[in-house]
Amino acid sequence: MDYILSLLVFFPAVAGLFGFLIQRDAMRSYAITIAIIELIFSLALWANFDASNPFMQFTEHASIVPAFGINYLLGVDGISLFLIVLTTFMSLVGIISINPNTKDLKELLIALLFLEMTMVGVFVALDAILFYVFWELSLVPMLYIIGVWGAENRIYAAIKFFLYTFAGSLIMLVGMLVMAYFYFQATGVWTFSLLDWHMLQLPFDYQLWLFVAFFLGFAIKVPMFPFHTWLPYAHGQAPTVGSVILAAILLKMGTYGFVRYSLPLFPDASVYFLTPIAILSIIMIIYTAMVAFAQKDIKQLVAYSSISHMGVVVIGTFALNPEGITGSIFLMISHGIVSGALFLLVGVIYERRHTKKIAEFGGLASVMPRFALIFGIMMMASMGLPLTIGFVGEFLSLLGIYKVSELFAILSGTAVVVGVVYMLYAYKNAFFGEVTNEKNRGLKDLNGREYTTLIPLTLLVVFLGIYPKPILEPVDNSVKAMVSLMHQKALTEEAREVIPEIKSEEVK
Amino acid sequence: MSEETLLYIALFSPIVSSLFAALFGTVPKRVFVGVVTSGLIGLSFLSSLALFIHLQSGSGVVHVQMFDWIMAGDFSVPFGFLVDEVTVTMMLVVSLVSTAVHIYSIGYMEHDKGFNRFFSYLSAFVFSMMFLVMSDNFLGLFIGWEGVGLCSWLLIGFWYHKHSAGWAANEAFIMNRIADLGMLLGIFLIYWTYGSVQYDVVFSAVSEADGEILTWIAIFLFIGAMGKSAQFPLHTWLADAMEGPTPVSALIHAATMVTAGVYLVIRANELFALTPEVGLFIASLGAFVAMFAATMALVNRDIKRIIAYSTLSQLGYMFVAAGLGAYWIALFHLVTHAFFKALLFLGAGNVMHAMNDELNIMKMGGMRKVMGWTAILMLLASLALAGIYPFAGFFSKDKILEVAFDGHYYILWATLWITAGLTAFYSFRVVMLVFFGKERYKDFGFHPHEAHDYMIWAMVPLAVLAVIAGFFEHQFVAFVSNVLPVYEFSEHTHHMVGQLILVTSAIAITGIAIAVFSNMFREGVFSSAFRNTILFKLFDNQYYIPKIYEEVITKPYMELSKVFWEKVDMKIVDASVDGIANILRSTGENTRGMQSGNLSYMLRWMAGGMMLILLFAIVYTYSDVLLNILQGVAK
Repeated sequence: MDYILSLLVFFPAVAGLFGFLIQRDAMRSYAITIAIIELIFSLALWANFDASNPFMQFTEHASIVPAFGINYLLGVDGISLFLIVLTTFMSLVGIISINPNTKDLKELLIALLFLEMTMVGVFVALDAILFYVFWELSLVPMLYIIGVWGAENRIYAAIKFFLYTFAGSLIMLVGMLVMAYFYFQATGVWTFSLLDWHMLQLPFDYQLWLFVAFFLGFAIKVPMFPFHTWLPYAHGQAPTVGSVILAAILLKMGTYGFVRYSLPLFPDASVYFLTPIAILSIIMIIYTAMVAFAQKDIKQLVAYSSISHMGVVVIGTFALNPEGITGSIFLMISHGIVSGALFLLVGVIYERRHTKKIAEFGGLASVMPRFALIFGIMMMASMGLPLTIGFVGEFLSLLGIYKVSELFAILSGTAVVVGVVYMLYAYKNAFFGEVTNEKNRGLKDLNGREYTTLIPLTLLVVFLGIYPKPILEPVDNSVKAMVSLMHQKALTEEAREVIPEIKSEEVK
Repeated sequence: MSEETLLYIALFSPIVSSLFAALFGTVPKRVFVGVVTSGLIGLSFLSSLALFIHLQSGSGVVHVQMFDWIMAGDFSVPFGFLVDEVTVTMMLVVSLVSTAVHIYSIGYMEHDKGFNRFFSYLSAFVFSMMFLVMSDNFLGLFIGWEGVGLCSWLLIGFWYHKHSAGWAANEAFIMNRIADLGMLLGIFLIYWTYGSVQYDVVFSAVSEADGEILTWIAIFLFIGAMGKSAQFPLHTWLADAMEGPTPVSALIHAATMVTAGVYLVIRANELFALTPEVGLFIASLGAFVAMFAATMALVNRDIKRIIAYSTLSQLGYMFVAAGLGAYWIALFHLVTHAFFKALLFLGAGNVMHAMNDELNIMKMGGMRKVMGWTAILMLLASLALAGIYPFAGFFSKDKILEVAFDGHYYILWATLWITAGLTAFYSFRVVMLVFFGKERYKDFGFHPHEAHDYMIWAMVPLAVLAVIAGFFEHQFVAFVSNVLPVYEFSEHTHHMVGQLILVTSAIAITGIAIAVFSNMFREGVFSSAFRNTILFKLFDNQYYIPKIYEEVITKPYMELSKVFWEKVDMKIVDASVDGIANILRSTGENTRGMQSGNLSYMLRWMAGGMMLILLFAIVYTYSDVLLNILQGVAK
């Protein structure tokens, strides 16, 4: 198991390279096989993961540029473990979901395998430069996927996606360089290792500036209001598989960044900026839910709903207590599964009708009952109904923020209302009523390929809703260790108050 | 069989039933689906009965914890279930009414193509409701709470091809969700105050928190209760929920789900007992809703809506008792009400079935001749609802009035007293218009017929209980007093009981008499003079509240959403992003001329650039000197 992380990162990319040699007809089975093997690797990682150890495991280390302390440093803890499993799982689901008749299928699949490498890379990299490299590389396959297989307006959407997120991450890069410089000044050693950075107590005003630099990079990715407008375009134009990966995993890179970088590196700044970030999150939750309600296109609706849910993730993270942070990480996982499934479901109907306009549908429950059922289950999960996966994370995130401020909790709690309004409204218009549009009358219910992707997702949604412990426990252990570190590092009185002290026996 | 096993059977046989029916969800009707599910729900009832006997024998509460559900930070909540006297009472009511409704539905839904699906939803509801009452913690209760909300959504919208059904289902869900936010906040506050959401931990430490926090917890929890129990101003969904099949209305929107709010207040009585000011608010709101709903029932012509408003009104009665600290009386009325109201709804279902789903009571009349048994059963239910001796409603409703009187809340008492008269009137208005008088249905070409025998038989146990349940008052008090505080009446009230009963019965009988006589003379039609009054218009339009909600909330929300999308998101947020991008691009476009490749042109640029840099260097190097000069000039 020594090199499992390197294997996880590079296996899909290498396999993707070999993909160029594979015949077109065989490419789909080849890519599915690779994705299955990759999933098995990640499950093996999970199986060998020591849940009671909150710190980095399976670490790998090799020097790249010793003079500047740039290393090939990989590791995984409870926080990143499930994001890796989610990545490999959703990549497999995405690859299976692609219609075999798609044009240039081979290139699409290769792009996806490369994308998988970059995503896993982001979650395992513990060196800032390495992290940055994967982070930026992930843009390339996605740019390609939207730009080549997208809808009419794909070029605009792809370029907007690329430039916007790229601009944000450049500022983050500057932040990283400055951070390394500060570290050098303080200790006389150059390093980009996150583990070393975590140990550094930065002066308060340095923290503020660096926090802002990192924040911009992450916030655009999440995407936080008001940096979110690239997302509806990207989703609106991307092919189904692009949207699935984008919503399920790429957005999580932003919130993962908050947890991995912003909180432990800048605890005082996190507390200092808590209020403005909470306000932005609340705007995200309510405002984008309302914008989602106004959508006429079901895919745009799901896209905006994603933003609204990410608002809950961000506010849970900035609750800065273990309940909220663990909840927000769980919500990242659950949102990955649920929003991925919702985009797949939208893809199902788009493939049949070549339209995503809600008004074109109506009465689908009577022609496609099984489709309506699975859509209904996913909708309930998205609304955070208890015993579905969506409840656990949302509940814990809101529980966490309640400790910080009742008002924030009440306002962000409206998520449970506004999130229901647009969903039920869309569901009623698409699935209830009589079949009024003749084109909908003969629609076929789900086919085998669609069942293969949707049934595992549905089972996960219910299973993890009833028994979230296998995920919550390792996450919570690592989060407690991190919060404990933050509490110790905190300089200001205010930060010590907001970030709770974890009793030592709890951090094993 | 051990108590634990019984508990699990009572809880899980409904979900087994639901999943079984779901297997046949998309295939045509299978009668055995109805039979098997009824059997499984019946099994749940029998287990509940066995648990009741167990508790009756004084062997103590049954408490089990299955496994951990959510654990994060210090928060930890298991799937835990607790059966004590209050729980078992609720379990019996829920499973008994559910069994009756399941059997009844086999007949009621016999021609519906969603037969199997219906039973799947109905059993899922029973599971959620059992979960709600059996949980040993607030979050488990919340699972059931949301579960019944989901099933209610599915069942109200069961005939989803109807636009109104889909709309009503969504309205119910959304309105409940608003209240659920209150409930969630209550749970958050409980956790951060007591460090746990387990009933036993919270209630044993309940007085340790300071008064303000307690008040907030009570308010938050009651907001949750207001949604489920459809209290003003979150009441409009209940009448619209009548879009669902009638057995659903009987089970969910009369006997069980809507009483969940009352159950919550009873369950958390330790907490509400410490916040009397919140209790008084609950009681006042209850009394208001009791009368408010009764007035709407007075003039309505839709048989199901009338019964729905009456449910609302009776829930108000229960909240008065619960708010004033008479928890066992609230529970008692909840129980008796479940029996006679479910019976009333099922009777209404028979009538509707006979009339091809016609709901307007003005088109009925004289139907006792064709459906005698239904007429008798509905008459019994109406007598119980009106609170006539010796029917069940008499005992429980009277106790509530006594409580209001005893606490010197004479305004509440008077409100409830008048409402008792209204209740009697509208109940018998329905009975008279449907079963007596001229057979108006003939003018509309209906050919009513009596329901299947087994449907009638399914109603009989409810009818028997609606008649006799009141006589078990003393046994009931003794049974639940292990959990609930016994309400002590003052000596003064004790002496007055006789008079109070007389006064209340008098107004109820007067109400009935008016209904009967007015029907004899005028066929139940209100005089045109009354129909033109503002009061009548208010009642008839439900005080214009649905309209106000539409204008003040729904439409503005839609409009604002549109504005947010089209104006704010597209025109402001996104346009400024594109604006920045455009500025960068046009800067590039405009300066591209520099790179024309023309040597002399580029040399000129270079010379200019050099000059600039030199100038900059000079200024930078001699900045002190320059500053001195400038200061000199300034002087």
